Amino acid sequence: MDRDATADVNAPHSMGTTIIGVTYNGGVILGADSRTSTGLYVANRASDKITQLTDNVYICRSGSAADSQIVSDYVRYFLHQHTIQLGQPATVKVAANLVRLLSYNNKNMLQTGVIVGGWDKYEGGKIYGIPLGGTILEQPFAIGGSGSSYLYGFFDQAWKEGMTKDEAEQLVVKAVSLAIARDGASGGVVRTVTINSEGVTRNFYPGDQLPLWHDEVEAHNSLLDILNASNPEPMST
Amino acid sequence: MASGHGWFGSGCFCSLGGVGCHRKRKDGGDGEDDISFLLQKAENVGKEWKKMERKKIKTCVAIAGADYCVIAADTRMSTGYSILTRDYSKICKLADKSFMASSGFQADVKALQKVLSSRHLIYQHQHNKQMSCPAMAQLLSNTLYYKRFFPYYAFNVLGGLDSEGKGCVFTYDAVGSYERVGYSAQGSGATLITPFLDNQLKSPSPLLLPAKDAVTPLSEAEAVDLVKTCFSSATERDIYTGDSVEIIILNGKGVRHETEQLRRD
Amino acid sequence: MLTKKGLKSPGYLKTGTTIVGLIFENGVILGADTRATEGPIVADKNCEKIHYMAPNIYCCGAGTAADTEAVTDNISSQLKLHRYHTGRESRVVTALTLLKSHLFRYQGHVSAALVLGGVDVTGPHLHTIYPHGSTDTLPFATMGSGSLAAMAIFESEYREGLTRDEGVNLVTKAICSGIFNDLGSGSNVDVCVIEKGKKEYLRNHLTPNPRTYISSKGYTFSKKTEVLLTKITPLKELVDVVQVGGDAMEE
Repeated sequence: MDRDATADVNAPHSMGTTIIGVTYNGGVILGADSRTSTGLYVANRASDKITQLTDNVYICRSGSAADSQIVSDYVRYFLHQHTIQLGQPATVKVAANLVRLLSYNNKNMLQTGVIVGGWDKYEGGKIYGIPLGGTILEQPFAIGGSGSSYLYGFFDQAWKEGMTKDEAEQLVVKAVSLAIARDGASGGVVRTVTINSEGVTRNFYPGDQLPLWHDEVEAHNSLLDILNASNPEPMST
Repeated sequence: MASGHGWFGSGCFCSLGGVGCHRKRKDGGDGEDDISFLLQKAENVGKEWKKMERKKIKTCVAIAGADYCVIAADTRMSTGYSILTRDYSKICKLADKSFMASSGFQADVKALQKVLSSRHLIYQHQHNKQMSCPAMAQLLSNTLYYKRFFPYYAFNVLGGLDSEGKGCVFTYDAVGSYERVGYSAQGSGATLITPFLDNQLKSPSPLLLPAKDAVTPLSEAEAVDLVKTCFSSATERDIYTGDSVEIIILNGKGVRHETEQLRRD
Repeated sequence: MLTKKGLKSPGYLKTGTTIVGLIFENGVILGADTRATEGPIVADKNCEKIHYMAPNIYCCGAGTAADTEAVTDNISSQLKLHRYHTGRESRVVTALTLLKSHLFRYQGHVSAALVLGGVDVTGPHLHTIYPHGSTDTLPFATMGSGSLAAMAIFESEYREGLTRDEGVNLVTKAICSGIFNDLGSGSNVDVCVIEKGKKEYLRNHLTPNPRTYISSKGYTFSKKTEVLLTKITPLKELVDVVQVGGDAMEE
């Protein structure tokens, strides 16, 4: 295995990711970390993996950055056409099925798994998980990306039917920060998007303000801060 | 398979080094078992060599004159696209009047230098004198050939003064094939420097009778000047050469040391 | 497939490169080194890696020189036709979309890694585009083999609201970091400053690598190959030259 950092720069871009979609009573919350890496190199530490499809539907992307971007671009284009032809906003189900159609028909070409979430007046808040081969699953909550393997147990325990918006958002932030702590391919900040009948709210939680989990070290501005501290032992805190 | 081929080809690049290629073909004709074993072995060695592509040290030149010898090498050591150090001396003093400049895999070069210096120490204990440069040349050849089937990844030039005080340069491949020449360049910059030296210092044909000395007609100062030009030019076009050049000049009066800055990009 | 069987594809001019870009107070600054390599050999000591896309948009290219050149020229031409069609200034996102669609179509075989920058009606924009067609939008970006060296400078010194001169200095410092620490990058620094309605292309803004040693007396090169033997054998001595009747061509 080649561990030369310069070789990594030429590897295709992928988002070793943590992405989450959760329903609550009244809408959905989507969450994601912000790390995009090529091999060992973090190509973007502040990327936005929660992409807008229409006014009321968003998508969380994981896997190959190029593939997931192209899929989202196409689906956004189709949904805009659909909205004009229909004369009213597209439903989450339509959006998710378009993503599924592209993922399934081009499964040989694409390396991407996504979570589609949004709100519409017919069915309210809905979350659809669309993993690698083009399966579609309507779920009360969905997790995806490399970081999700650390979260299945946590969600089985912590997710409850009929949470409030704040409870759900705290759950999402907590889950992403837990995954960031354990998964090397996830990191940076936590971004959330809340979608309900009122509209859309975007939130941003900086990496140095996330809760510290087991064995984690306080964020420092630079190594010099550690060395200049009265106790220069970095692991002492 | 491919890497096996590649290795045999590149391992024996000197005129005298054709032995390896010849031998492989012969074995190929003898039987399937033989060749698959040999190719497997060659492939393994090839793989090892590929790993050693890392940590290369580059470009050295030596020129022999009538009563002097100039040995020079740049001081850059690199891995892939990154510089490990800008100040690494790759010229090694083996005896009072013989210096070896090496390019290739740094760890192998170090190991080789260690073997040679310990052998030289034993020689001094046994004979109570310094080894002559031609003797050291033969010792180096033997040491390289000793590891014929897992060679040192080292491409050397040996420069010094012989017993008559004449400048001498010996050039090697990795498995010990060597030749006494008037001048030589080894390493990544060799492809750029050798044609220039060929043009400036026409060496007498080894086929001429009576045999002529393989020394250059230049004066010592001219030779040093030529070496500096060689390195500054090679640095312009070879990415692995640069930082500075270390020049060692041997003559009847003793040993002199010079350095010249090169491009650092 | 064939490469596994030992076929070597021809060596391309790879611009082992450092290219960078950042957003400052009122615009975008792009920077690039000027070395083009072919394996270990420097093929061009002073090439141009900041390509023109539109009057208000420029694009730095890393990867295979032919690909970066072709892809930027092609998209630049499409943008010009689009301007004729619409009568409006090109937007950076338009260039971005055209570039990423092209690169995605070729599934990474067109090896162009780009830093795209420009100022349009919606303000200053900076994007990176990878050979597989993925894009990022960032306040500061680096690409090429020297991207790690350059990013080290940006990560420690970039801040929001840099002035023009501070921006140019930071870009120059980042490129120099690539030039000196990455063997694939070298020679000079090119900078391009784009502001609203104004751009400056500072070709060879800094030349930190002059020739180090020039021999005082110069060198002579013999003009001809040495003549070893002179013996002329006329053709007539070897063959019979038969004169055929004239006008053979006129029939």
